[in-house]
Amino acid sequence: MRHTFAIAGRELRSYFVSPIAYAVLTLWAVIAGFFFVAYVGFYAQMQQYPDPAMLERLNLNEQIVTPFVQQLWIVVLLLVPGLTMGLFATEKANGTHELYLTSPISIVSLVLGKYLAVAAMVSLLVVLLGAFIGLLFYYGSPPPELPQTLCTLAALWLVALSYAAVGTLFSALTRSQLIAYFLTVVVLLLVTLLGELAPVAAQAAAGSSEGVTSLVAGGTSVIRWLSSAEHFEQLATGLVSTRSLAYFAFMIGAFLIVTKTAIESVRWR
Amino acid sequence: MIEAKNIVKRYGEFVAVDGVSFSIAAGEVVGFLGPNGAGKTTTMRILTGFLPASDGSALIDGHDIFHEAIEARRAIGYLPETPPLYPEMDVQGYLTFVAKLKDVPRAKRKAAVERAMERCGLADVRRRVIGALSKGYRQRVGIAQAIVHEPKVLILDEPTVGLDPIQIREIRALLASLATEQEGAHTIVLSTHILAEVEAICRRVILIHKGKKVLDAPLSELTAGGARLEDAFTRATQRDEAAVPMDSPPPQEASSSRPEATA
Repeated sequence: MRHTFAIAGRELRSYFVSPIAYAVLTLWAVIAGFFFVAYVGFYAQMQQYPDPAMLERLNLNEQIVTPFVQQLWIVVLLLVPGLTMGLFATEKANGTHELYLTSPISIVSLVLGKYLAVAAMVSLLVVLLGAFIGLLFYYGSPPPELPQTLCTLAALWLVALSYAAVGTLFSALTRSQLIAYFLTVVVLLLVTLLGELAPVAAQAAAGSSEGVTSLVAGGTSVIRWLSSAEHFEQLATGLVSTRSLAYFAFMIGAFLIVTKTAIESVRWR
Repeated sequence: MIEAKNIVKRYGEFVAVDGVSFSIAAGEVVGFLGPNGAGKTTTMRILTGFLPASDGSALIDGHDIFHEAIEARRAIGYLPETPPLYPEMDVQGYLTFVAKLKDVPRAKRKAAVERAMERCGLADVRRRVIGALSKGYRQRVGIAQAIVHEPKVLILDEPTVGLDPIQIREIRALLASLATEQEGAHTIVLSTHILAEVEAICRRVILIHKGKKVLDAPLSELTAGGARLEDAFTRATQRDEAAVPMDSPPPQEASSSRPEATA
């Protein structure tokens, strides 16, 4: 475990002496700020409506917090691979992997250390988001509900953590940061988009023969199961289920275990 | 201290290391010689546990490098061909990090780092960022990294390659001091294709050629009576090539003469 913290600490420090952390944090703050202003502006416009029934239904959580955080999903998908791409790829490119693979440390503590560093960065992103939403608590009347807001933020945090696990794996598979980045983004996008398309495909196949229908149904259910969209949506709207939490825990664990195996297998070639 | 038993490494069809065995006692300083591509680096990578062998085994300080990897690795200090440095870290921070990886206890860590910097002449650049150091200094950081945990076995892969003559002399002096100070404290295996380096530091020579051990003898024996190491090297490595003109079939004698050299 002490190795894990040593590795995580080194990794975190190297984030902040390279431009990557600053680029990611800046982009995040700017884009999130842009979305936030847009949603708040939209909300203010809605408040001008004279319809009392409409005003009755206005709610900071539903009109700002949840959609704002949900919108940021795509930003997370593009930024988190930027944080993970270098984890193992640069080590291989620099030859520093010879240091840790000949040190008395286990590969598990290596992978955990690296992941811990990314997880800390991801958490920092979510905390920054919390700063925006904190404004609503200060100025909003009535303010948003705290438990639901935390749940929404936790949803994005978990999605980002699962993306980081995927990115960690791809970084371990290549020595090029660029390839690691694109592979991660492409895979994450594909799974999510296919998840969105799944119902459409199921509908389209409904009319054809039974074999095709069941095949498509099988494929779509696998894709939907892999895709985090459903779980993210539920959590983001404040619906906490064991199933969703188990999904994220499983995804993170599975990708980290595959990462460990991938690193071990490299030594066998 | 180091026991290599019939190490074989295959990459598909290609055999990089072909049944190399040797035994190195504690305190020995061995020069690991061979032309480029002979299998030196691969053998060292197997000894350090970076690569698993396709066949055979290696014991470091009595621990199997594969089955008791953690214990065996604790006894090894390794300088790979490219020093494993993080360019964005400063010298002291980097060595402290390595000391943590190598299980130097917290209480002794500071002193260990201090000592390694002292020995490698790095005390003046301790706060400098590694990426900004000259190649010679970076090589020294690489050596400091290998000795920071006071390993029993030191495995150095071409420690002077790409340095200028003055830097080479400094690194050699450093290695010589490691070899002589506390007689027997360090077992050193040093790979190189620079013969003068071997003559300056080592007391025993193992010569690898085309993945096979072709020579294993004390330096004094090879240079006895004013003989030059270079001649021994040339004899051992060029025997079969010299005997095989391009347009004639390989004579039998080429392969049968090899065992003599191994003796």
